[in-house]
Amino acid sequence: MTDTPSPLPGYVPTKLVDPFEIFVGPVFETGAPGSRHFIFRVDERHVNMRGVLHGGMLMTYADLTLGAAVWDATDYAPSVTLNMHTQFLKPAHAGDIVEVTPQLTRKTRALVFMRGDFTVAGRTIFTAESIWKLLGRD
Amino acid sequence: MVEHDPRIPEGAVNVSVGGFNRFVGPLFRLPETPGDEIRRFAFIVTDKHMNSAGTVHGGMLMTFVDISMSQTARAVSGAKSCSTVSLNCDFVGPGRLGDVIEARVKVTRRARTMMFMSAELVSGDHTLLVATGLWKVPVES
Repeated sequence: MTDTPSPLPGYVPTKLVDPFEIFVGPVFETGAPGSRHFIFRVDERHVNMRGVLHGGMLMTYADLTLGAAVWDATDYAPSVTLNMHTQFLKPAHAGDIVEVTPQLTRKTRALVFMRGDFTVAGRTIFTAESIWKLLGRD
Repeated sequence: MVEHDPRIPEGAVNVSVGGFNRFVGPLFRLPETPGDEIRRFAFIVTDKHMNSAGTVHGGMLMTFVDISMSQTARAVSGAKSCSTVSLNCDFVGPGRLGDVIEARVKVTRRARTMMFMSAELVSGDHTLLVATGLWKVPVES
């Protein structure tokens, strides 16, 4: 899927290194580190048998994009997800483009709190709040 | 699935028959133990499930617990499909390549249109993830 063009002009592929993210990707982005805006187009791999975007894909996309924002916010410090809370507001379908600009809620020495409102055509379909632990920080 | 792994017990049913479930699977529902209120599911970690740090990707763990809890909501309610409304996951420990990861799902409360559940993902003696979640159960017309 690495040669897939961006579904919208002005976006570049997000560099994915985790095998599971490469498997479910691609994801595209625009903007500078710290204020990156991400998009992905839902395709037939991502939906359930009713044609609705699978919650697992949305949560994976949330982990990927919020994680990238944590990376930006910490000078690329290694970190792990401690907790993720998600709410599923509306269904999405194949062909939809899911967008998010992750928002930093708070950063301490050891923890980062990051959230995102995920939209399709301007309407919020899903929210995620996550807590990340910076490895080696007390 | 290429061939049967003996660590998946006889009587297990492949529940990843289509869509995203099949894409990330195979995932199995394990046979029920009479009198046990816990419902169990399992999958074997392969290369595609990993992150670059050599552990199972958090997205895959959340996907697996979501599918296990959704399957439980359907089985308990009898509804054809149930929708995840809210899911909260704590990442307690890492999963590794080749692990058999088991989901243990418990229904906390079943109301007419909603179901409250909790679940745990374990590998051997290690807890990987604990989750609580809320599902919408459609009322059959």
